[in-house]
Amino acid sequence: MSEPNTDTTTRSDIDEQSDEQFRSWTESSGTGTVNIQDLRKVYGDDGDELVAVDGMDLHIEAEEFVTVLGPSGCGKSTVMECIAGYLDPTEGEVLVNDEPVEGPDPSRGVVFQENRLFPWKTISENVRFGPQMRDDVDESRVASLFDQMGLEGFEDAYPNELSGGMQQRAELARLLANDPDIMLMDEPFSGLDAMTKELMQEKLLDVWEDDDRTVLFITHDVEEAILLADRVVVMTARPGQVKDVIDVDLERPRSTDMVTTDRFNELQRRASESIHDEAERAMEQAEGRA
Amino acid sequence: MSTGSMSDRLVEGFTGSLPSPTRGVRKLVSLVGFVAVWWLFYEFGVLNFEHFVSPVTTIVEFAGALAGQPLTEGGDTIYLHAIYSGARVAVGVVAAALLAIPLGLVVGTSDRWENLLYPALEALRPIPPIAWLPIAIIVFPALALGSVSVPLPALFVVFIGSFFPIFTNTIEGARTIETEYGQAARSLGAGSGDVFRHVVLPATLPSIITGLSLGVGLGWITVVAAELLTGGPGLGYIIIQGSRLLQNQVVVIGMLAVGALGYATSALVEALGNWLMPWSTE
Repeated sequence: MSEPNTDTTTRSDIDEQSDEQFRSWTESSGTGTVNIQDLRKVYGDDGDELVAVDGMDLHIEAEEFVTVLGPSGCGKSTVMECIAGYLDPTEGEVLVNDEPVEGPDPSRGVVFQENRLFPWKTISENVRFGPQMRDDVDESRVASLFDQMGLEGFEDAYPNELSGGMQQRAELARLLANDPDIMLMDEPFSGLDAMTKELMQEKLLDVWEDDDRTVLFITHDVEEAILLADRVVVMTARPGQVKDVIDVDLERPRSTDMVTTDRFNELQRRASESIHDEAERAMEQAEGRA
Repeated sequence: MSTGSMSDRLVEGFTGSLPSPTRGVRKLVSLVGFVAVWWLFYEFGVLNFEHFVSPVTTIVEFAGALAGQPLTEGGDTIYLHAIYSGARVAVGVVAAALLAIPLGLVVGTSDRWENLLYPALEALRPIPPIAWLPIAIIVFPALALGSVSVPLPALFVVFIGSFFPIFTNTIEGARTIETEYGQAARSLGAGSGDVFRHVVLPATLPSIITGLSLGVGLGWITVVAAELLTGGPGLGYIIIQGSRLLQNQVVVIGMLAVGALGYATSALVEALGNWLMPWSTE
């Protein structure tokens, strides 16, 4: 009772300390470049070949947010899977931090279109999974991720007990627990309703603006592509390659109200025009195969 | 305000005017109805049923058997027969599971192992388990643990019977895992051992439990078949012995005991599944 000042000092010391700790988790080491050189990926064997990607070049800077926009079946996911290390290029190279990709790595986190939380693990077990693989679970980091993603109280719930939006937040928390340099996201919000999608976009922007990670985000939603990105990469119909790169010069931090500004509309029109012909070609391809 | 399910509402037209009985009452009606049909067949001699045995006699004798009276003159109690059969099912099914689950996981996740193992096993699968008995009698030596003789041929037949449902279900479960779960795990830093433990095993567990459930059912089917031929004690033996002695109530008591025990062991496997898979309960 006689030393209220001491208490205050101690308290703020702790806060400062944990702030610093949090920064050290989230500060990127400056790595996270992706270099795709003349990538070609062919599925199937002789006679029944499908050329998914051909002659694709793309350079992504460290800490850049790039969205990839393309018609369905254009090979967007193939490109992502090559960066993730699930697929080997047929020809060409995929370099991450100037090294060829050899298999999956925790420094390259992946979010899939459909929620891929492990259904047999609780939310807490899911979020801890990455650190646990290295025997390096940082409890305070896990707790702060639960807080950041609004998942407190759901630690012991199983994924199927959560709403779609919460599942996506849990999957994002699982990814961030691993502190990846690069986040690869394949249409992660396409299954969500409009409201939830908007909230998830804001959440992702928050996370990215705090943490300085490289993000490659695949979508077929033009508005989403522009709202999130530093650069929008438009892909051609199959075989996929880069058709157009649009620099998004909207100010940061972004918010979902920006979609009504003139500059946003202008960018959106440009992207839509760019993708329109490709979408038509993709549709003809799909009809031809059917 | 309709709160009934679709199927309830579909039959509303037929039962709407009747008071709706509770679930327990309906189940009782099912059992009483079964006994009533049996009694009618016996009483009116449908299909020579008059030479069979009345449900009343059977129920009285069954009660006596449950009280510990020997089933046949100078024979063993129903409990002893049930213990023998139950032990054979347990040993056979556990042995089958110990082999079928690892093999199924290997075949379901590896093309190379599938090529090596699957064709031969697939060719053996259609053979009725009881057809293995003659070979089993020849190749397995007489074995005794202390004073208890171990009927290896009968155990082998049970083993074969429950092996295949567990094996094929495990394969199917392991094959149909979404590849993205494994990819997600590897991108989070999991090695192949971790993927097996944290993805393949839990993802296959529901199919393994389904296989075990079918396997236990086949265990009871095959143990009775084996005991009909190899002798007792055992519930299969009691069925054939009752028939030989023209004591039809003993036949029926043996059949009902198998039915009840099969039901109980299925429930046990289901409980095991719920315990192992807390995530799958709604």
